[in-house]
Order: sequence, then structure tokens, then C-alpha cells
Amino acid sequence: MAEVVITARGVTKQFDGLVASSNVNFEICVGDTVGIIGPNGAGKSTFFNLLTGLYIPDSGTITYFGKDITKMPPHDRVGLGIVRTFQLVSVFDTMTVLENMMLARIRFDGTYGKKRFFLRNLLKSREVDGCMKALDTIGIAGKCDVKVSDLPYGKKRELEIAIALSMDPKLLLLDEPLAGMSMVEITEIMDIIKGLKSKLTIVLVEHKISKILDLVDTLYVMHEGQIICSGEPNMVICDPAVKECYFGRDNVCY
Amino acid sequence: MFEVIAYGLTIGGILYIVSIGFSLTFGSMRIVNFAHGLVYAVGAYALFALLPVAKGNFVIAAILAILASLPVSYVIEKFVIRRLYGKSIDYAIIASYAVLLIGVDLIKWIWGASPVPISDPVGTSVSFFALEIPLYRLIIIGLSFLIFISLSIFFKKSIIGKIVVAGLADREAVLSLGIDIDKYFAIVFILGSALASLGGILYGPISTIHPYMGFRIVTLCFAVVIVGGMGNLRGTAIASYTLGMVMAVTAWYWGAAADAMIFVVMAVVLIFRPIEL
Repeated sequence: MAEVVITARGVTKQFDGLVASSNVNFEICVGDTVGIIGPNGAGKSTFFNLLTGLYIPDSGTITYFGKDITKMPPHDRVGLGIVRTFQLVSVFDTMTVLENMMLARIRFDGTYGKKRFFLRNLLKSREVDGCMKALDTIGIAGKCDVKVSDLPYGKKRELEIAIALSMDPKLLLLDEPLAGMSMVEITEIMDIIKGLKSKLTIVLVEHKISKILDLVDTLYVMHEGQIICSGEPNMVICDPAVKECYFGRDNVCY
Repeated sequence: MFEVIAYGLTIGGILYIVSIGFSLTFGSMRIVNFAHGLVYAVGAYALFALLPVAKGNFVIAAILAILASLPVSYVIEKFVIRRLYGKSIDYAIIASYAVLLIGVDLIKWIWGASPVPISDPVGTSVSFFALEIPLYRLIIIGLSFLIFISLSIFFKKSIIGKIVVAGLADREAVLSLGIDIDKYFAIVFILGSALASLGGILYGPISTIHPYMGFRIVTLCFAVVIVGGMGNLRGTAIASYTLGMVMAVTAWYWGAAADAMIFVVMAVVLIFRPIEL
């Protein structure tokens, strides 16, 4: 059996009495692609924030390759290879494409900004080659000096994914990567994710179930902070409880 | 009228130097740090205490006073501000106001409650269109512009500055790049506090220093941040000089209304641009 990457055991998180995550158990093995679906407010993003350390659970444990990381701060988790993207694209509009990439590489530059005071000097370093290569894979290397605010939303999403990939992820968490994308952009981003599937361990939160059914090995369904069903994707969506809460009675309209 | 403009720019310059740290703490951590006013007062009193040590050399005393106020801001950051992160904004206001109150009492205990004069370190005046303007005020104006330009370069070009600007826009996204953003915010907090201390030092010779000077400046900073936008670096500069000018012009006509006018401007801005806290 493949090695387990990340495990959540009984993870619970409340906000002012609202249980956003309730006794969640989750695990993913090396090389797997796992999808998490669920209605709005089901606790999917909260669960991501618990995995990445933006929230600390009230109870329960999270282990990463056997190491307890329940209370580890988010930036240290990134250092271990837990890398994420956000539901709303989180790239920095006021900076250029290349500067956005470099921001993610500062940690990898041996000096960590200690010896280099000006960003300009970092832009001359060897890190740039790696960044340009990553930009090339999403086809915007030619736009490296363009302000991010001038990119279309779909390209921003691709840039965000490229940034995530440049951080040497062992576990890639994608929070609704298709949200807000046009049909053409969805196809492009799906192609990128399909290309990553064989190389990386991926957790994917998504609303558009039909798009990810063929992509994921395991599907988890969340509802009101709980995982109500998990397993082989085509089995899961036929589960009566899933149909009831997610699709609304008999209308299977995915 | 040139006198009024010079006075407005002097007050605006000091307001800018002090407000920048207040605005960054507000913008980065959503914390209204009233203790910022304490660091300002500590800077002025440290100058007063250190002038004899520096044998009357104002520049050396000023540098020593800034260094002396650093431990104060470090303690405030580590034990008050950092613990308030993510808490309700009310707690931050109460806690940092408490720090200000305690600090003011300590100042009274050490140096007494009565105002202390500090003499003009330059002493000479410059004739300007038949007007005498103290050279010291022109130096303050020049220094504030120099700090504005340096900070602009710092935040636009330096790695630390870029990270902080990114963190102001989206803290969680910066954390998700594996960057310990709080460390960078702490660096900027200390920098902002050092500037607050400098502001107190520069203001001393213009007026007198007294234990309550921190209360007044922090309410003015608050107005600057509301008008300029929290964490907005350029907005803070524009608002500082504008409000400094408003104060100077109001004082020219009706001295007693100078401070009140600032809050009239703040109220008008709030009416037209509501701020979400």
C-alpha cells in the first residue's frame, strides 16, 4: 500500500458556535488525486484552511508523513511541501508576473532576502531561470514584465497554479480552481491538472462535479461540516444521502 | 501666508512621520494601536533626558533617543500587539489604550506632570519674502520629504517592502507562499515606532513636551489614517500634509478650532467614503 501523505483524525473547528468542521477524518496516499465536493458552506474551504494551518483545529490531529503538524504555522507547512491555491485567485495585482513568481522563490534563495535588499538583485539571480520555465509551461513567459492586473482572470489562475508548482509541492491543494472561469479557460486548466495528476498528490475542492468525476480516484462529500460519504466517485454520487443533500431530492443535474 | 504654509508643512511632516507606523499596523493587522502615541512621547522625553548626556548635541541625542525607545516598541509589539492579532478590534483599542495610560503615568512618575521646554536646536531663522521662518522647521519639512521618498523606494523596490505590501493586500496568500509574514510586519512595526519616536523628538523644540502629548498625536494619527486609508502609504502622506495645512490655516483664523477642524475633515471623509473595520 502506498505511503499516506496527510491524515486528518477527528478534526473539529467551531466559529462562535457554528461548527464549520465536525469530526472530519480524511487521508490521501502518495500519487492519489482526491476530490472534495459539497454545497456552499459545507466546510470545504475551512477544511483546506485546517490542512494548510490558516486555522488551528479545536480538537483532532493532522499528520503529514507521520509527523504531527496540527499546530504548525502555515508558512512552515509550505516548507514541508503542502502548497495550495485559493478559491479567489490570490496573486498580487500590483506586481508583475515575474515578481509574483519571485515572491514564492524568496524562501528558496539561500539568503532569504538577508543579503539582497532590493528585489532587483533577486531578479538577476539564478532563481529567475526556474521561474521563466514555469511561466513557459503555462504559456505566459512572454508576459513576465506585465502587471498581473492586466491579465485575464483565467491567466491569473494559471499563474497561481504555476506559482504553486514552483514551490516544489509534495501535496497540492486546489480550492475550486474552475470557479469563475469561462468554458475555454476551464478546458485549459483541466488540461493542466490532468498533466499534474501522474506527478503529484492532489486534493481538489470543486463545485463542477461533472468535470472532476473522471479525474479523481476518491471522492469525499461534505455537508454541514461533516464528511457524509467517501469512496469511488461514481459510487459516491449514487449514494442516496449525497443525492439528497447535494443535488436536492431527485434532480441529479450534474 | 507663507508663514502659514511653512507651519502647515512642518506639522504635516511630523504628522506623516508619526502616522506611517500607525497606518501600517492598522492596515496589516487591523489593530488600532493607541500605544503608538506612547512611543512618540517616550521619544520626546528620551531626547530631554539624553540631551545632557550628548553634551547638548541634538543629533546625537536624537539618535540615542530613538534607540532608547526601541525596547519600548519591542515590548509593545511582542506582548500586546502580537497577542491581539485576529481578535476583535475592540480588544485592541482597549488594550493599547491601557498601555498608553500606563505609559503616561510612568512618564509623570519619572519626569513630573508639568510641561518641559526644549530649546530650538538650530536657533537661526531664514528670511523668506520678508518673513522670518525658523530654519529648524525647514529642516523638519526637508526631513519628512526625505523619509517619504526613502519609504516609497523601500516599499516599491526592496524585498522586505514588497513582501509587506503583498501582506497588506492578502496576508493568507503570502503565508501560503511559505513566507513568515508576521516577522516582516514586526520589522515594519519597529520601523514605524522608530519614526513615531523621531516625530516626538522633532516636535519637542517646536512646542513643549508634556506627558499627555501622546494622546493628542494618536487622535490626529487616527484622523490621518481615516482620511488617507489604512495601510495606504501614499494616502497617509497626502492626508498628513493636507491635515497639517488644514490645522495651520484654521489656526491662522481661529487658534482654538485647529484640532477640531481635523475631525471635521475626517467626518466629511467618513460620510463620503465609509470605512469597513
